[in-house]
Amino acid sequence: MASTLNPATFWLAFTFGAHIMMVNLSVGLPPLMVYYRNKGVRDPRFEYVARSMTRVYAAIYGLAGVFATAFTVFLLSFYPKFIGLAGHVALIPFSISIMMIALHFLMLALYWYGWDRWSLTAHNVIGTLLVISAFLIPFGFRAVFAFLNIPTGLHFDAAQGKFYLSVSEFLAHNPTFWPFYLKTIVGALTATFVVVAAGYAYRYTHSEGLVKEASGIVVRQMLGPALVGLVAMFFLGLWYALSLMNIPYKFNNIFGGFGWKVGDGVVTYNFSWAFALKMFFYLSQLVIVALAYKAVRRETEAIAPRAKYLLYAGFSALATIVTGEYLNAFSQYPWFIAAVTDKKVVASLLAEVPPQSRGEVASYLLQVLDLRNYNTIATLPGVTWLTAGFLAFLIAAAFYFVYVLLLKPGGSESSY
Amino acid sequence: MAEGLLGQWLHAYPAGHLRVLSLVGIEVHWAILQYVLGLSFLAFVARLIYLRTHNEHWERLTRTLVKGFILMFALGAATGTAAEFGLVLLWPNLTEAAGDFIYFPLYAEIFAFIMEVVFLYMMWYGWGKLSLKAHTAILFLGMAGAWYSAAMIVSVNAYMVAPTGIMPAYNTTTWHFMYAEGYPKFTLHVPLKLILELPNGSKVSIPTLKLLNIPLLEKAGMTVVGMNKAGNAVVVEMPVRIVQRLVFEMYRGYTVKDSILQFVVNKTYVQEHASLAPILLNTPVKSIVEPIVKQTVRDEGVYSVTFKSPVYWASIIHVYGAAVTTSAFTLMGAYAIRYLQYRNRRDEDYLEYVRKAFAFAAVTGLIVIAVQGLVLGHEMGRAIAIYNPEKLAAMEATTSQLKHTMTGPFRSLFEDKLMPLLAYGSMHAKLPSYDAIPKDYCYCKLSDKLHQMNPSIPSDAMRGLVDCRPPLIVHYLYYGKVYLAVLLGLYALAAVYYVWRGWPNFNLPGWISKPGYAMPILIQLVSFLGWATREIGRKPWTIYGVMTVDTAQTVNPPSTGEVTLVAVYLIGLLILLAYGVYRILWVPGNPEKA
Repeated sequence: MASTLNPATFWLAFTFGAHIMMVNLSVGLPPLMVYYRNKGVRDPRFEYVARSMTRVYAAIYGLAGVFATAFTVFLLSFYPKFIGLAGHVALIPFSISIMMIALHFLMLALYWYGWDRWSLTAHNVIGTLLVISAFLIPFGFRAVFAFLNIPTGLHFDAAQGKFYLSVSEFLAHNPTFWPFYLKTIVGALTATFVVVAAGYAYRYTHSEGLVKEASGIVVRQMLGPALVGLVAMFFLGLWYALSLMNIPYKFNNIFGGFGWKVGDGVVTYNFSWAFALKMFFYLSQLVIVALAYKAVRRETEAIAPRAKYLLYAGFSALATIVTGEYLNAFSQYPWFIAAVTDKKVVASLLAEVPPQSRGEVASYLLQVLDLRNYNTIATLPGVTWLTAGFLAFLIAAAFYFVYVLLLKPGGSESSY
Repeated sequence: MAEGLLGQWLHAYPAGHLRVLSLVGIEVHWAILQYVLGLSFLAFVARLIYLRTHNEHWERLTRTLVKGFILMFALGAATGTAAEFGLVLLWPNLTEAAGDFIYFPLYAEIFAFIMEVVFLYMMWYGWGKLSLKAHTAILFLGMAGAWYSAAMIVSVNAYMVAPTGIMPAYNTTTWHFMYAEGYPKFTLHVPLKLILELPNGSKVSIPTLKLLNIPLLEKAGMTVVGMNKAGNAVVVEMPVRIVQRLVFEMYRGYTVKDSILQFVVNKTYVQEHASLAPILLNTPVKSIVEPIVKQTVRDEGVYSVTFKSPVYWASIIHVYGAAVTTSAFTLMGAYAIRYLQYRNRRDEDYLEYVRKAFAFAAVTGLIVIAVQGLVLGHEMGRAIAIYNPEKLAAMEATTSQLKHTMTGPFRSLFEDKLMPLLAYGSMHAKLPSYDAIPKDYCYCKLSDKLHQMNPSIPSDAMRGLVDCRPPLIVHYLYYGKVYLAVLLGLYALAAVYYVWRGWPNFNLPGWISKPGYAMPILIQLVSFLGWATREIGRKPWTIYGVMTVDTAQTVNPPSTGEVTLVAVYLIGLLILLAYGVYRILWVPGNPEKA
């Protein structure tokens, strides 16, 4: 393990982990916000829920954005050559995500600040666009991730001496894309249901009157879909795992420790422990949610004794996401594209390159796609300390902010 | 003529449609960012006034400005992400170069972004929960985050306008261009040892000074300055036509056998080390150029290289000035509209607030537009005159090809006396003549020889660089900006006069209040024209003297249709944003919430 850790991979993993945890809630919260906003027209309890959810969502999305930007800038600074290559070939998938991010930010601002300024219909149109863009942002990014599993659709134009991506071929034939994308959306929704149930269970035990009543209803409403989502995730996770059999290097690094191997059966870095940890988090939240659902379904008061367990389930939901994402990324270390370890994939790609240039192209790809070849002037000790200092500051400030946002009394934000 | 000028901009340099999309994308971002910088400053000033006066109107104004600031920040972050990815996808080689060599300000900008997000949220959600002084401190830190962010990003842009080590072609003593002497030149630090990788994976160290044919390079315009401080590299001043060609070859993945480098290799040395010849010929140009650029960056300072750009300080203060000016005039327009809506209603307290806010915006607007025009803009102009003489020639249209915006007897006084005085500090100075700039000054002639030897390798003349001179359209962009800014300055002066004359219960005549509707558009137009002059006037360069647009661009460009679609989408978002802000902050007949 020690050899896998350097300033470049450490900062990338750190920012990615923080981003991915928050961004999953960014996918799951918008549909709930819109749903409760509409229910809130006739019932002030739901108006409270919709507003509090949107307020928290705006905060989470901003912080997720910071970590995303940090991640992209770190990637650019540590691996500029990889960014150069990705920029040349991944125009369409990235463009989808970017256009949706721009739309999402705008819709979020208009939705939150325009709560009382738009008609309900206009507010719902904005909300719908918020939901659609939330679902489509990962569409582009997961396409890139699936491409980093297997570069299906990547070709070499010998006449012009360049790589290019056939997007239609990629969508039709990359075995990992669809399971990965669907797993992402269902996983994000499920994690959000669990986290929301946990958050409102806590609020239920710490409030009175309308807030307590509303919180109780939300917890009861969230647990059913959370349970369905968790069951669905078992099948989607299995589908994605099966699709990874196309990349023996990655599959073996994930499952080799359990004796499940494909291809040459070689385990380069054993990450089965991370899979086991993920399964522990998954199963523990499944059990807690199932038991809580059974108890709370008929009786709202049953929330109080289960609130701390639900908080643990919420924590487990986020931990499941982070361990899952780390597992997916680390298991292909040190390669940006996992399938470069597969001789057949490489041979088929190089077959399009003129014979006299194959050596040069192969050497270029191996150089650019290797995470161990990071930009040394971006990992100077001064930069590393500066990064550590600022990120520590960010985390401390973020905790204080969460305290001000959720726990500190006073303020008048509810009137905005 | 406009068609011709537009045609020159679009077709005389490569990647016209990509440049248009970048122009739209970055302008949308910049239009928003100015408010992030400017509104935060104005909000801070308004809060300071509130702390001093305890008049609730100032707190109300602070709150409105902060709301606008946060709204713009959210959108700025979104369009910033779009702009960042746009650069990666449309200009991947530029992005790669930035990450490889001048990454630090981009990296450090992340910390600014962190400051902004944390303090902005804390400011908003902490309103009423934190003490007034603590809240003011947080407001200041939110503003500082935004200004720090700009300081980082502008350093990269300044480096693109005039990279550290650039030596311009215009001699400000003789008032002549020095293209014949190989200028413009770029200072490079060439390591004494060049490390090459052998096919078996081992490495060999080659003495660079022996490998290169120095007399030949000197004949081509290179000047050897001496050793660097560490004594491990030779400092040379290299003609940019050679630099840009090597950078082009580097990002095209050429090896030495397809490069102009083969012409400057010391043949005697290679003959003496015959076994090296095949290795050298198959060495990627990147393996030779990259260590040179990295050594240059290390010697200049990894952390400071972009900040040492000779146009940096002029650029950053000009950017701050533009942001505050744009925000102040937008605010003036917004409260002029409010005045029109409320002047005949009975809510005297609200009208008093509107008057105060308008006065604040008008006075600030007048001060900043004057400072921006007379001091900050002047400094920017002087920096451009020295370091981008080709751009100045195009801005001033010192050519027989174009009709100057200023005609008649004043023209000669203006061009011969006033402008030289402003640009170079002397009425005896001479403006650079656009017609004296060789159309092909950026071409490396060795590339013709290369093309003759191997027709599949393009010479510089075949790369779409029809003209190395900047497009003349910048003359109209620049003067359009100047004339419009003067008009707006006069408008602000008149507004302040009416405020002063009737204070505190002043009335605004229709010709002052009604243009309020157009004010955000007009001031954004001024800003856009200035920014467009800066960016369009740099063509054909992406990084002046180092990288041309064809080198920077993607090898898989989107089609014109795709580019149009994205551009329309971005403009649509901007329009939606403008409408949204209007509805949220300024919905007719509904005072903004206190």
